[in-house]
Amino acid sequence: MTSGPYNYSYIFKYIIIGDMGVGKSCLLHQFTEKKFMADCPHTIGVEFGTRIIEVAGQKIKLQIWDTAGQERFRAVTRSYYRGAAGALMVYDITRRSTYNHLSSWLTDTRNLTNPSTVIFLIGNKSDLDGKRDVTYEEAKQFADENGLMFVEASAKTGQNVEEAFLETAKKIYQSIQDGRLDLNAAESGVQHKPAASARPLAAAPASNNNCAC
Amino acid sequence: MNHDEIKVVVQEKFLSSERVTALLCDAKVFHPEWVKKDRLLAIVEYGDEKAVFCLFSSCYPPKTFTDLSIEIILPIDNSFKCEIDNKPSDPEAILYLNLQSRLSKYKFEIQMTPRVDNFVDDLFRGIEAVNKIPTQPEFVWLKKYSVKNDDQTIAESIMLPKSNMHNTAPVAIRESLIKRKMSDKELEYTFTKNFTVFCGTWNVNDKSPVIPLKGWLSVDQEPPDIYAIGFQELDLSKETFLFDQTMREDEWYCAVLNYIDKRAKYIKVEKVRLVGMLLIVLIKEKHFQNVRNVICDTVGTGIMGKMGNKGGVAIRFDFHNTSICFVNSHLAAHVEEFERRNQDFRDICNRTRFVQIDQQPKSIKDHDHIYWLGDLNYRITEMDPITVKKLVSENNFKPVLEWDQLKQQHNNKNVFSGYTEGPITFKPTYKYDPGTDNWDSSEKHRAPAWCDRIFWKGDTITQLAYRSHPSLNISDHKPVSAIFSSRIKIIDEEKYRRVYEEVIKQLDKLENELIPQVKVDITEVDFGTVKYLELQVRTITIKNIGKLPVEFEFINKLDETQFCKEWLIVEPYKKCICADETCEIQLKVLINKTSACKMNAGTDKLYDILVLHLYGGKDIFITVNGTYQRSCFGCSIEVLVKLNMPIREVPVGKLIELENKRDQAVSNQSTYSIPKEIWFLVDHIYLHGLKEPNLFEQPGLHSEVLQIRDWLDSGSIDPIPGSIHSVAEALLLLLESTVDPIIPYNLQSICLKASANYLQCRQIIMELPEFRKNVFLYLCEFLQEALQHSSENGLDSKTLSTLFGAIFLRDNPNLVQEPQSRINKQIIDKKKAQFVYHFLVNDHSDLMFSR
Ligand SMILES: Nc1nc2c(ncn2[C@@H]2O[C@H](COP(=O)(O)OP(=O)(O)OP(=O)(O)O)[C@@H](O)[C@H]2O)c(=O)[nH]1
Ligand SMILES: [Mg+2]
Repeated sequence: MTSGPYNYSYIFKYIIIGDMGVGKSCLLHQFTEKKFMADCPHTIGVEFGTRIIEVAGQKIKLQIWDTAGQERFRAVTRSYYRGAAGALMVYDITRRSTYNHLSSWLTDTRNLTNPSTVIFLIGNKSDLDGKRDVTYEEAKQFADENGLMFVEASAKTGQNVEEAFLETAKKIYQSIQDGRLDLNAAESGVQHKPAASARPLAAAPASNNNCAC
Repeated sequence: MNHDEIKVVVQEKFLSSERVTALLCDAKVFHPEWVKKDRLLAIVEYGDEKAVFCLFSSCYPPKTFTDLSIEIILPIDNSFKCEIDNKPSDPEAILYLNLQSRLSKYKFEIQMTPRVDNFVDDLFRGIEAVNKIPTQPEFVWLKKYSVKNDDQTIAESIMLPKSNMHNTAPVAIRESLIKRKMSDKELEYTFTKNFTVFCGTWNVNDKSPVIPLKGWLSVDQEPPDIYAIGFQELDLSKETFLFDQTMREDEWYCAVLNYIDKRAKYIKVEKVRLVGMLLIVLIKEKHFQNVRNVICDTVGTGIMGKMGNKGGVAIRFDFHNTSICFVNSHLAAHVEEFERRNQDFRDICNRTRFVQIDQQPKSIKDHDHIYWLGDLNYRITEMDPITVKKLVSENNFKPVLEWDQLKQQHNNKNVFSGYTEGPITFKPTYKYDPGTDNWDSSEKHRAPAWCDRIFWKGDTITQLAYRSHPSLNISDHKPVSAIFSSRIKIIDEEKYRRVYEEVIKQLDKLENELIPQVKVDITEVDFGTVKYLELQVRTITIKNIGKLPVEFEFINKLDETQFCKEWLIVEPYKKCICADETCEIQLKVLINKTSACKMNAGTDKLYDILVLHLYGGKDIFITVNGTYQRSCFGCSIEVLVKLNMPIREVPVGKLIELENKRDQAVSNQSTYSIPKEIWFLVDHIYLHGLKEPNLFEQPGLHSEVLQIRDWLDSGSIDPIPGSIHSVAEALLLLLESTVDPIIPYNLQSICLKASANYLQCRQIIMELPEFRKNVFLYLCEFLQEALQHSSENGLDSKTLSTLFGAIFLRDNPNLVQEPQSRINKQIIDKKKAQFVYHFLVNDHSDLMFSR
């Protein structure tokens, strides 16, 4: 533990989707920086963050794409679903409309990702319990019916944020272990970095490389 | 640090028999995933064989050879190729070196310096040499350098991303950064504790352990925490020397286990032997769980610099958070050979390499605590044996020690530089008659010497005792031992985890900060009202607010082949911006007839979202927006002929509906017999311009054409603005812009076939839908009228039929044709002209009023 090389063996791609203002960017920020951004501008495009986590003793690099939630960008953000190993689908527990739109987000996710993509439903802003507009039970039922993992979280207090990202990774890792996720498929959203092994002399990483500049 | 000094460091990375013959310092390697950071290129020669090494240095310039890691090895064999190009953009200063060996191929970018000549010369000499010899060299010596995955991952972990939407994030040099950060913060998560270390050394002169060792190994008040016991000349038989086999190893090992302090329980950490040199490290059982990464190595410095009759054996391990290395060595013999002994010491230092999977190999000096013991073989010179013996017998060691070669060499920093030795308060340990405490009585009458010594290196080591044990007298040497109290850093697991997490968090943050960051001043570009053929420009500014240069590019959206709509031009669409600099991007909108048709038909809108991609970073959406002001340009003739109001007054939905239903609605219930817009323009020329010189030849003014467009679209009651030429041009543009030409696309080939035959051409026209026939004949009538005035306007029927042939029989842009040859196109153009020509020279008024 003291001196083992710090090296990740997998890269998982995540996307975060959901209506505008539900707190996608804040969740990402909380996860990568452990901070809350009180006045976060709307995301105009797609941002990303990374963090290395550990699952079952394996270092995994998460590459997280935070998409714009505004309806007008919907067609464009669809480009980014491809190759996601995990999708965090977020709604705001204080705004029912964001919950009502989940089925359409789910349809997009199912259509644009592959069957092994892990979808995690997050009911955000759980700190605003007083303004709650969607009950836990109702959302839980929706998640169960659709086979989604689910927590209520708060990007503000950090509650359950870590859990949502890590549980998703565990599930993906589990799929790899079970062989449900084909690492060789280009769209699996997982890249495997082979474990350390001595290489034969001059077995060059460039053997199939045309010396592109 | 100059070139030669760097070369010395690089040479240290190799054995002394492997010579660095040429070196280039700032080479960059082209690899899609490696940062184009400076590398060192070295040509290394071993015997007749040469190879090119590419080395990565963790700091620049490299301070020691451990800063260097070998990344690429290219043996110069007869598969080796070398090509040199100049960098096209900078041929004077930069060279590209393309090296290929076996299956590997690399391209390096190197700075043009005088050294490049030497390097390339040396390279070509190597290639020449290898091609002269008939057999393929084997390069056995390279095997030990085979590139370890470790080096590769470092290189990979600093890779930069290259692909677009599905790319990977930029990764900093994580692993080494974490290590460094953790060691910087070591104090925050460690505390220290003293442990006792017993070091013993004995040259046993080929003897078996026939006496108890207790008087050497177990004489202290407290049992030590660690034992490191070294023997030399364990076995002087030929078998041992040649085949490195001996029974004595086990004998002595058992004896040691028998006679170590019995008050504590010990476990073997490691045991290593080379010929007669044996090193045993034991530790108290209760500490064993804190021992990690135990590795040993041996170095022979005997005959031919290889054999193991002289040299060193070493064991290293991490104890808690302190790295410890024990070395047992037997250096060259003979009184005068102190230089040789110094050399042996250096060779052991340079060649001992603790190789561990997944890590940079470590050398002796990479340890917090080093204990070096052994028969170092330094003698007393410049003092006659009689005097030595006399002084020693009086326990007056000081004057004798002044003549000790090792003290002298050590003081002069020729050997054991940085190491410490405690004061010597015991008699010389060599040379005795075995079995006695008497000085050697053989003829040689050697002077006594302190051959057997113990040195240490490390800040937190205190020597508690340094002594010999004369009662153990079976050998011609006496055993020596030292006790140390060594401060060991111990990790507080709790604190460690906290600091580790902090470091990881910091690095994650850093990594996220290194993601390219830009500021775009406007992400919603509103073009307001956009009119037909009127170019509009808006500018957005991108500022690089990150710490690294940013390359941006507008990229395609999913399933699209262009990054923007056809009516939009983006300049530049791709560029690199340095930190703190800005780049202006122009967005230009131009609605031409193709896009106007789509706007009118509602199949396209003045709306687009562009994806501005930052390499290695985020994507920014730029929304482009505007209102297209509908115009008669780009409508279909069917719709124009039906519209009884200016087009601007037609509701958007209505126009789209008309355009979409135009095929069904061609019935005869058109409002006009020809579109009013065509009539206005033709009538204007008919009334005011038939005599205008260069009619239909001189271009109009663009601004006037735009005014005429507005006049038509708004249904103005003012006179038509602009000159005759502008009106004539507007007419041509209008006829050109219709969704399909007056003679529809599907009839074009029939017309061309019929073009030689007036009657057939007439037949085709007669069968056109009523309003198309009307427009065609009306225009021909008008052109005939214009030709009446050819003396003034200079028109001739050839010119007019060519001009209007191209308009009436316009090619279908959507039809993917094989590219027409020029000749072919000329033939087609001529046929089009011929077709129209019939109607300019024949009277066809009868057709007009048929029905
Ligand atoms: N109280 C509370 N406010 C939150 C929480 N998460 C986000 N917010 C606030 O909600 C607003 C929107 O958050 P964002 O993270 O920008 O939302 P988004 O989903 O990224 O929105 P788009 O980028 O437009 O798609 C911000 O003002 C946040 O401060 C939360 O857990 N609790
Ligand atoms: Mg956002």
